Amino acid sequence: MHDLDGTGGSGLGGSGLGGSGLGGSAPGDLTVDVAGLTRVEGEGSLRLRVRDGQVEEAHLQIFEAPRYFEQLVVGRRPDEVVDIVARICGICPVAYQVTAVHAFEAGLGITIDPAVRALRRLLYCGEWIESHALHVYLLHLPDFLGYPSALELARDRRDAVEAGLALKKTGNRIVEVIGGRAIHPVSVRVGGFSRTFRRSEIRALREPLETALRIAERTVDLVADLPTPAFTRSGPLVALRHPTEYPMNEGRIVSTAGLDIPPTAWTSAFAETQVPWSHALQARDLDGRAYLLGPSSRLALAGDRLHPLAAAALTRTGLATEIATNPYRSVVARAIEIVDAVAEAIDLVETWAPAADARVPWSAGPATAAWATEAPRGLIFHAYELDDRGLVASARIVPPTSQNQAAIEADLAAFAPSVLGLPRAEAVLRLEQLIRSYDPCISCATHFLDLTLEEVS
Amino acid sequence: MTPVARAPVDPHVTRSRSGQGLAGARPIGVEIFACGSPDRGDDAVGLVVAEALERSLPAGARIRVVGQLEVDHLLDVPPGGAVIVVDAATGVRGGHIVELPLTGMIGREDRLRPRSSHALEFREVIGVADMIRGRPLEGRIIAVGGVRFTLGAGLSPSVARAVPRMVNAVRDAVARLRT
Repeated sequence: MHDLDGTGGSGLGGSGLGGSGLGGSAPGDLTVDVAGLTRVEGEGSLRLRVRDGQVEEAHLQIFEAPRYFEQLVVGRRPDEVVDIVARICGICPVAYQVTAVHAFEAGLGITIDPAVRALRRLLYCGEWIESHALHVYLLHLPDFLGYPSALELARDRRDAVEAGLALKKTGNRIVEVIGGRAIHPVSVRVGGFSRTFRRSEIRALREPLETALRIAERTVDLVADLPTPAFTRSGPLVALRHPTEYPMNEGRIVSTAGLDIPPTAWTSAFAETQVPWSHALQARDLDGRAYLLGPSSRLALAGDRLHPLAAAALTRTGLATEIATNPYRSVVARAIEIVDAVAEAIDLVETWAPAADARVPWSAGPATAAWATEAPRGLIFHAYELDDRGLVASARIVPPTSQNQAAIEADLAAFAPSVLGLPRAEAVLRLEQLIRSYDPCISCATHFLDLTLEEVS
Repeated sequence: MTPVARAPVDPHVTRSRSGQGLAGARPIGVEIFACGSPDRGDDAVGLVVAEALERSLPAGARIRVVGQLEVDHLLDVPPGGAVIVVDAATGVRGGHIVELPLTGMIGREDRLRPRSSHALEFREVIGVADMIRGRPLEGRIIAVGGVRFTLGAGLSPSVARAVPRMVNAVRDAVARLRT
């Protein structure tokens, strides 16, 4: 370790098992304060208090600064919004871009060229691959294999880390080629793309994707055999469902509780509320139930739409039922979705031909624009009101992590009693691992705080 | 090759005494990774420094604006190459510049955190890259303590004042890494 010659910060380590407090004072008591959750995107903490075997408090505290994106886009043109919302997240910018662009196109009645639609789906495949590969190999695998971080994992399991990096690189490459750059892509435009694409540059993705497919299939076998804590959660699952495709850009919003609504109608079934311990809004259904989004929900609600190679991989695991109920198995769901995204990307690359019209003309005007797509972490919803000049008058952006918050807290409360008999470090690790199972993106979740200014005269 | 003048030692720069270079190794080039986001207050400082450096780039150096530093970026550095990561940091006084070896983040227990990595901690990005490359990458982190990271804010006055010293610190580090 090198010294900073006495300057810089001091003292408190901000990572890892930062648990403190009263744990172990009585057999049924546990207090856990993890000040800085590691291996999640953004800054959050966990506070859990169990007394006499009863959970008194289970809070995922999200304290990263809110970002006011919904106000930032007011007065902007739709094409500006598409670029601005991509900056909400460095891991899943495509989800924000594609959701916004679909919303505007639906609201303004724009029909895009099928080749544009295919490229957007390929772009989204790229983001799924890179985001899932990062999570499976570098953020979540260390938990299952008993390593404190990816660093220690790389020391013993270099092969695993290299596999994850190779997958991630393939996803990054797709986003770079189609989006113009790997992070915060810039090519997506209302009506199409800002540039035309040559068949050769899309076909060049084929070779790395073929390699990625082999790695992705091995990944499923690796994660399906991981030692996994037993846990059965309850509560509805929510995802998009498309008539023929595994849900990504399009589909209806469905749930295991029987919901079935268009992708524009999220507000008719769900509502957001502020809770005092989090900068991110929480979402519940209109009956007040917490619900879960993400890969496990998608597999449960649209598993029959998987690419045949991904469906075969899922069958091979024998875990389809458990994935729907045990959040720790989400790592398997993510691996299945990597196979799905890579296999579909290969099909798209193989069959894609340049669009007759890379960007269809459109006119701005008043409209109500809304849409939902499937980000790597789950369903994301955007809604915009456009004024007479076609500028954004109001915006609503609902990221997956803020929707998952209530379910994460409910699951923590349900799971916590089962770790009371464990040594403290192991109990805390299990709880952190559970949070990481949802792949929370805290940076995304804090995009908005309901700010009220009160004037006192 | 054009010789690079060694920048005067800046009393405001805190520099680790260790990690001055691997004996016998002569980097063939220095990649400067400018990290940060242009729209998040002091997080933009790496990009501002990169812009200033580009006007007269030290010989043998190349700038890559990467936003957030990823393992892949470090794996792409040619064998024998060295890197300088320019970034904003938390856990250090606003406007104060720190310089330390790349490996200086590994094992640290204080609150110093470069802002450039996302999801994976900075020490993990460096450590994993070193592990896969098979030997530690030679290089430095040059970071300035940020004051505000608010969306839409510009650089804070103390960080803006630090930019010329950051530029000098990077030039100085390039010169040292190449000798």
